[in-house]
Amino acid sequence: MQTSAANRRWRIYAATTLGIAGLTVVLMLPVLRMEPVNAALLFLFPVLLCAVYGGRAPAVFAAIAGVLAFDFFFVPPVLSFTVADLRYLISFVVYLAVALMTAGLADRLKQQVKQARQQERLTAILYGMSRSMSDVTDLPALLRAFGGGIREMSGLETVFYLPTAGGELQRHDESGRSRAADPEDPNLPVAKRAMLISEVADRGISQSMDNPVYCLPLLAEDSVHGAVSFRSREQDGWPDSEERLRLAALSDLAAGALARIKRGEEARLAQVTAESERMRATLLDSVSHELRTPLAEIIGSSSGLLESGNLFTDNEKRELLESIRNGAQRMNRLVGNLLGMVRLEGGMLKLRRDWVGADELIGAALRQLREARGSRRTVMLMPEPVPLLRGDPVLLEQMMVNIISNAIKYSPEQSVLELEVRTTDNRVLLIVRDEGIGIPSEDVSKVFDKFYRSGNAAHLTGTGLGLAISKGIAELHGGAITAGVGAGGKGTAITVELPLEQLELVDQGGEQIE
Amino acid sequence: MSEAHKGARILLIEDEPQIRKLLKVTLQAHQYDLLESGTGSDGLLQASMNHPDLILLDLGLPDGPGLEVLKRIRQWSPVPVIVLTAKDREEDKIEALDSGADDYVTKPFSMGELVARIRVALRHAVGTASTEPVLRFGELTIDLAQRLVERSGNRIKLTPTEYDLLKTLALNAGKVMTQKQLLRQVWGSAHLETEGHYLRIYVGHLRKKLDDHPADPIYIATEPGIGYRFLLGEGRDAHDNR
Repeated sequence: MQTSAANRRWRIYAATTLGIAGLTVVLMLPVLRMEPVNAALLFLFPVLLCAVYGGRAPAVFAAIAGVLAFDFFFVPPVLSFTVADLRYLISFVVYLAVALMTAGLADRLKQQVKQARQQERLTAILYGMSRSMSDVTDLPALLRAFGGGIREMSGLETVFYLPTAGGELQRHDESGRSRAADPEDPNLPVAKRAMLISEVADRGISQSMDNPVYCLPLLAEDSVHGAVSFRSREQDGWPDSEERLRLAALSDLAAGALARIKRGEEARLAQVTAESERMRATLLDSVSHELRTPLAEIIGSSSGLLESGNLFTDNEKRELLESIRNGAQRMNRLVGNLLGMVRLEGGMLKLRRDWVGADELIGAALRQLREARGSRRTVMLMPEPVPLLRGDPVLLEQMMVNIISNAIKYSPEQSVLELEVRTTDNRVLLIVRDEGIGIPSEDVSKVFDKFYRSGNAAHLTGTGLGLAISKGIAELHGGAITAGVGAGGKGTAITVELPLEQLELVDQGGEQIE
Repeated sequence: MSEAHKGARILLIEDEPQIRKLLKVTLQAHQYDLLESGTGSDGLLQASMNHPDLILLDLGLPDGPGLEVLKRIRQWSPVPVIVLTAKDREEDKIEALDSGADDYVTKPFSMGELVARIRVALRHAVGTASTEPVLRFGELTIDLAQRLVERSGNRIKLTPTEYDLLKTLALNAGKVMTQKQLLRQVWGSAHLETEGHYLRIYVGHLRKKLDDHPADPIYIATEPGIGYRFLLGEGRDAHDNR
């Protein structure tokens, strides 16, 4: 930097000298042979140029060189510094004065332009920073916006010291990295002092000699949110008073943004808490109801058999025993779903990958539901060849059991359950249609939400877990699940869409039939 | 057939007293002689001292994994072992079956299902199923000597692999066969588990030729995630209560 500046200065002086020499030669040409007064006016020209492009010192240099050249070559006696007519001395003085004043004016103008440009740049940076800081929503973004802006503006390195919930200071640098502040960090006491001083409502500037950092407290809404330290990479990069004012103003902006982020987080947390409160209440509600119903069935039937078994006919006894078994099976499914939900939510499900035929999957689900199905007829629409699915057979089975048992629950006896498997280019569709009560169109998007139960299903018990788990399982397999209207515009159709994975079939064929 | 097993001695290794009580009452009602054990170590001791005809082993024991007990038993005894597991432990089931368990029952299970499994396991243990030259399952007959398969008197044409698969399944009728076991027995040990889809495809072919529907099987039922089970006529009803 410095050598190039010296070079530049050198070049200006050399150019000035050359320019004046050139001008002198031109003015000496016989064609132009001028009166000395005219020549003197023309010698102002290099001075002006130097003032504009080189500044004050080259202008003065040009003025003196001009006077000397004028005196030597144009003032009689020519080719001598002697001045015969002393009146020329006065014009020398006037010439010098004009040159100096012009140079001064040009120089000041240049300074002003430069300052204006710098001001403009600063304003742009400040504007950009204030704008970005008013719409950041998280801490890393704030750190990046603030740190980047400060670096661009004054080349300072920024570090935030923010207290955690436990009161420990955490160090956050520009790149968004955060870690617990190192107790050995020499800036830590400075940051702490800055935070402390601000508590007595005064802005603190702290500095320790061997490690010059400039620390400001982050003050917003009458509380301290931490401290920010600025450090220059160069030893002499200490901020001047104007810059300190700017840093203080920007730190206030950052503190405001911090306060806003904190408020946002608190609000979100409160919302999450409220939501999970609500969920827990719903869960308790539905689980207690859903468990009590089959329990009532079991306890009622078994105590009836125990206490007055001899009053019942064999058929009645059998019916009671069946209701005990059905109640227990329902509870078993419920427990399975509750466990499944917890695992899905906890991310504890390990997906086993295996091939399973769509027909086998539906068959296994139907076998589990044979008693629940009652007198409902099932119709299967299966393409040829039957598509193979790649996934966890047990989870996929649970998914189908949930969907089909839902279809059974909400449809009358003797109605038709239609189970269709269809393939598209890269998907397998498993569609379960029933002729039941259907889902009101406004609920279609919500039936897969946890604990959601459609308004028209209030008379039937349920936890609202089955379809939510099915959705979770489908998504775990890279698929999706949707609800729609069943065949012929009545009832419900639940469609599971799973990726169709291609199986490279190395045909082992060529086998002869025995 | 089942008359032969009246009085068979069953050792139950299970830590839950309620389940022990339930099984004791029902199995004794089925004329089985029941020995009980609450821990794995005591179970091993009883197994070696009392020579049971069959062991019911709970996989979740308080003093260590039930699988360990199974492996220890298998070191010196071929006694049939049926494991009792929870629904969500598929890996345990497969590992137990591949470690020599004869079958599994998922808790909660129905008594009919358990008794059917016990019968099948006892029958296989005395070897009656494998000495017959002709296997009969309802309309289906498999003539092992002549490699002939007929359904209602009509011959069904099978490829050698399909025939071997059907034979393996039918010889183990009533028992679940894991994919690994089938691959090993039909294709030989060179085939890895990852080639399970070949198995699936051949089972598909076989089902088509037997006119068997996976959604409502008569002969070959899929145990999702585990393997296949060739259904006995009597096993079908018991099978439904999973």
